[in-house]
Amino acid sequence: MANPGGGTVCNGKLHNHKKQSNGLQSRNCTKNGIVKEAQQNGKTHFYDKLIVESFEEAPLHVMVFTYMGYGIGTLFGYLRDFLRNWGIEKCNAAVERKEQRDFVPLYQDFENFYTRNLYMRIRDNWNRPICSAPGPLFDVMERVSDDYNWTFRFTGRVIKDVINMGSYNFLGLAAKYDESMRTIKDVLEVYGTGVSSTRHEMGTLDKHKELEDLVAKFLNVEAAMVFGMGFATNSMNIPALVGKGCLILSDELNHTSLVLGARLSGATIRIFKHNNTQSLEKLLRDAVIYGQPRTRRAWKKILILVEGVYSMEGSIVHLPQIIALKKKYKAYLYMDEAHSIGAVGPTGRGVTEFFGLDPHEVDVLMGTFTKSFGAAGGYIAGRKDLVDYLRVHSHSAVYASSMSPPIAEQIIRSLKHLMGLDGTTQGLQRVRQLAKNTRYFRQRLQEMGFIIYGNENASVVPLLLYMPGKVAAFARHMLEKKIGVVVVGFPATPLAEARARFCVSAAHTREMLDTVLEALDEMGDLLQLKYSRHKKSARPELYDETSFELED
Amino acid sequence: MAVGSRTGPGSECQDPDWATERDPSPRPRARGLTQKTPTTNSGGGSRMNVGTAHSEVNPNTRVMNSRGIWLSYVLAIGLLHVVLLSIPFVSVPVVWTLTNLIHNMGMYIFLHTVKGTPFETPDQGKARLLTHWEQMDYGVQFTASRKFLTITPIVLYFLTSFYTKYDQIHFVLNTVSLMSVLIPKLPQLHGVRIFGINKY
Repeated sequence: MANPGGGTVCNGKLHNHKKQSNGLQSRNCTKNGIVKEAQQNGKTHFYDKLIVESFEEAPLHVMVFTYMGYGIGTLFGYLRDFLRNWGIEKCNAAVERKEQRDFVPLYQDFENFYTRNLYMRIRDNWNRPICSAPGPLFDVMERVSDDYNWTFRFTGRVIKDVINMGSYNFLGLAAKYDESMRTIKDVLEVYGTGVSSTRHEMGTLDKHKELEDLVAKFLNVEAAMVFGMGFATNSMNIPALVGKGCLILSDELNHTSLVLGARLSGATIRIFKHNNTQSLEKLLRDAVIYGQPRTRRAWKKILILVEGVYSMEGSIVHLPQIIALKKKYKAYLYMDEAHSIGAVGPTGRGVTEFFGLDPHEVDVLMGTFTKSFGAAGGYIAGRKDLVDYLRVHSHSAVYASSMSPPIAEQIIRSLKHLMGLDGTTQGLQRVRQLAKNTRYFRQRLQEMGFIIYGNENASVVPLLLYMPGKVAAFARHMLEKKIGVVVVGFPATPLAEARARFCVSAAHTREMLDTVLEALDEMGDLLQLKYSRHKKSARPELYDETSFELED
Repeated sequence: MAVGSRTGPGSECQDPDWATERDPSPRPRARGLTQKTPTTNSGGGSRMNVGTAHSEVNPNTRVMNSRGIWLSYVLAIGLLHVVLLSIPFVSVPVVWTLTNLIHNMGMYIFLHTVKGTPFETPDQGKARLLTHWEQMDYGVQFTASRKFLTITPIVLYFLTSFYTKYDQIHFVLNTVSLMSVLIPKLPQLHGVRIFGINKY
């Protein structure tokens, strides 16, 4: 039976030998075999942490217009396909050779209908090449298309100093080379670019050990292991943890890497509604009561897969409730903190710190170094025996090459910066600045009347656009105003919920955010995006002044 | 050669990896019996997948359940009717019959003829041979959307019969058209291709 938290069972009573960490005082009282956590000092655990998140629905007429937009696009798509088929219009897509006309087709035309007729029209809003490091400002290549986005032509000009609202640069560590990165250059000279060998053979270097120790120290867990690729961390390690006869309960909106890892493992997968503890509890109860299908045997393991911050919705996982459920039904919890490590929590330690919980309560802490640390790769952290097991059994350790040493050095540098081990408090200041920027940005957007999804503390801000035409217009206008945004539409999002996704960074200054907000205000009025029906407060907000002055 | 030939592997209700409790036969099932949840996917979708993809394998299955789409559908019928009414020299009964016929023809084409999805799905083409009606809700019968889409042509038929004053020719046309739209919706005809028409 699972013993999350490392307790021992004796006569039906759970004795928990928990380490005191971070000053969190907690002890277990057993009463009639039921374990209750009692807090010393009468401090309430997590019930007083208010979770403020909103997923407002747009008015119905917006949805009707959205479907109309897609409908008209589809009808015109059929018309254009008809014209292309009969040769009235020039076909820019790849076609079969004339000799192969009568053969069975290799590809179904219809499967590319959406790409051909809707995506191609607005394709210039994605895959824009950039010419500098993706810091808070970056340079974008200016491209035009002569044949309605089928091909692009570089005009030779570079749009300089575009405000970057699209890159995952939460702490602002993605920057041009400066002298503080000298250690990385030295590491590159000493170690080269890497060994190109697996961790088991020759790929484990002292840099990896140093990095893993530092990651474990940062997260306040026993041990950690790092991998070269963030996606592969999930897809290679979940199969090592669960297998056939196990049950995976995965959130609806989990990332593809988690989904791939779950599928590769061979375990049974059930999906619960996004962030919905009632749905999860129902699945857990059914799993425990009914066991495996057909044989009714108990599941070998139940693993709950969640993410810390969901990047498409901007929502933060309801960690306290999920941990409570996990303990009640004796399941394991795997949390993917790709977007939340370094960005969420008072010192950037992630969602566990955000809620004031003990990181030992999450069985497997996973994260990536791509978003907040300006590097690449991922880690898995937790108890020492878990990490030791992964060192031996992880597919990545056996087959994938280890992380490159200069990248490891960059992560070490970032971690030291964040933890304050380089002698400054700048790392902490970055985290605070990010939190300030996030709250300011979200608050201003909500005041303006846009529909924003997600938790008020999440740095990823999805702004709902709904209609496909507005998606394109929004992105193009913003680039004209020298602001780079990322827009997402169907089928990456539900049909009618196309959105623009802003990533606030600690490196964004107040002026940059104000520029963006002014541009958004203008765009909102031009494109009529201010759908929110929440009543705005009549009281003025205090942003820059130091006191409310009475104005006559 | 059988008259009613079933299509290949895609003909049964799409069976996600999870529901081994489900009876894999394509008999009609009331929705309340098993809670169907979508399976996981194994990779990205179209090139427009910026960021993550949610675990909805085939978004086509959920289109008709989206908020506001029933209203849009009814409004579209209304728009069609108004456009036809605005044609001069056409009498009201003829307009109603035309509305009924065009609506049923459109419904037949988009729900029962066009197969597959207009975007690439990560499920390796399980739905390629299925019409949109068969894809809806992963093949679960008698869901709310299916009931709505069955009732709408019937209501339209009633209105048309009333406004054409039950004239014989109009009646024949409208009834044949209604049958062409109602029969493919029967659960017994899930995945059935008569005479092999529209099989591949």
